[in-house]
Amino acid sequence: MINLADNAKKHLDNYLQQVRTYLRGCKTVDADEVERNVIEHIESEFESATAAVSFEELDIVLQRLGSPRQWVPEEEISWWRKIIFRLRTGPEDWRLAYISFGLLIAGFIILPSFVVLIPASFIVARAALSETEDPGQLKAQRWLIYPSLIIVYLVSLCFFLGLPLLGLIPLAYDLEHTIRATYKIGDDTPYWLAVCSVFAGSLGLWWLIHGIVFLARPNIPKVLFRPFAGWFSRKWAFVLLLIGLGLMIPSLGLGIWYVL
Amino acid sequence: MENRFFDNWSTQLRKGMLELCILNAIRGTSLYGYDIVRKLRNIRGLVISEGTIYPILSRLKREGFVQTTIKESTEGPPRKYYELTSKGEKILSEMNGYWQDIKTGTDALKREEKS
Repeated sequence: MINLADNAKKHLDNYLQQVRTYLRGCKTVDADEVERNVIEHIESEFESATAAVSFEELDIVLQRLGSPRQWVPEEEISWWRKIIFRLRTGPEDWRLAYISFGLLIAGFIILPSFVVLIPASFIVARAALSETEDPGQLKAQRWLIYPSLIIVYLVSLCFFLGLPLLGLIPLAYDLEHTIRATYKIGDDTPYWLAVCSVFAGSLGLWWLIHGIVFLARPNIPKVLFRPFAGWFSRKWAFVLLLIGLGLMIPSLGLGIWYVL
Repeated sequence: MENRFFDNWSTQLRKGMLELCILNAIRGTSLYGYDIVRKLRNIRGLVISEGTIYPILSRLKREGFVQTTIKESTEGPPRKYYELTSKGEKILSEMNGYWQDIKTGTDALKREEKS
């Protein structure tokens, strides 16, 4: 038995773990026998060592042995084991991408749990996105992480843009009656004018406020909707502000006309 | 692009050649795993990652082309020695013949090119 330094021992344990991981399930190879051979190989390399083998010395031998991943012919690895390998030993961005996609699929299959699984998938996808400095560097991973991002972003965008409507639609009927009673408006005036005026006005005000906020802080949408809002700039914040104003002015006019 | 093509080609070639060389290395003798690696290490370009040899040995054993015997060692714990079985000797003879045919054919093609 060779004498290894502590970090070298840990390094060897990790390596042997990889050997077992990659060779387990490979029908043509006896994983235990290969592991014993690898240990014998390392012992033979350091047969004449007088002091404890250092991490660096061991690493040279392990480099020459190569990654156990290369030892198994590709055709002997089943598709599900390839996914597991990626999850267990692949780079972090790949691992997170697979987990994100897995959670999304599980969310669709186990329907009641989608309320929890889709947000979880989104969080993992954002974590995977954080792993890469430039989202443009993402290659095939984007197919795994973009679906949950797109779903959550679209829902968030609809919610964000239409929040005043969500609040006002249930109140529309009562609102119209209140306006009609307050200003003593006759039944001949179409009620939808009042409702449209309130809806458009509140939407306009909502977008105007956001236009102003984004004009001051154009990075907010970029960060919130990463990586799809990289194009957002003050110009687009100004457009949002103008649309808000554009909705508010006619709705205000419509409201005044309705009351008068 | 050319490098990638060469890498793919040499990887394919090595796969089959390694088995042939391992069997030839233990022909008429018995060697333990590390000794086989040391022998093959000397063939330039054949062994890129030395660990590849061990799963091949295990595969050859499962196929019944090699067998192992445990022998005491003066330098440490008992070692496992690999040797050819009669089935292994037969397949090796076929493989060597096949390889010789290919090599002869390839050499002939190269000579034709020159003339």
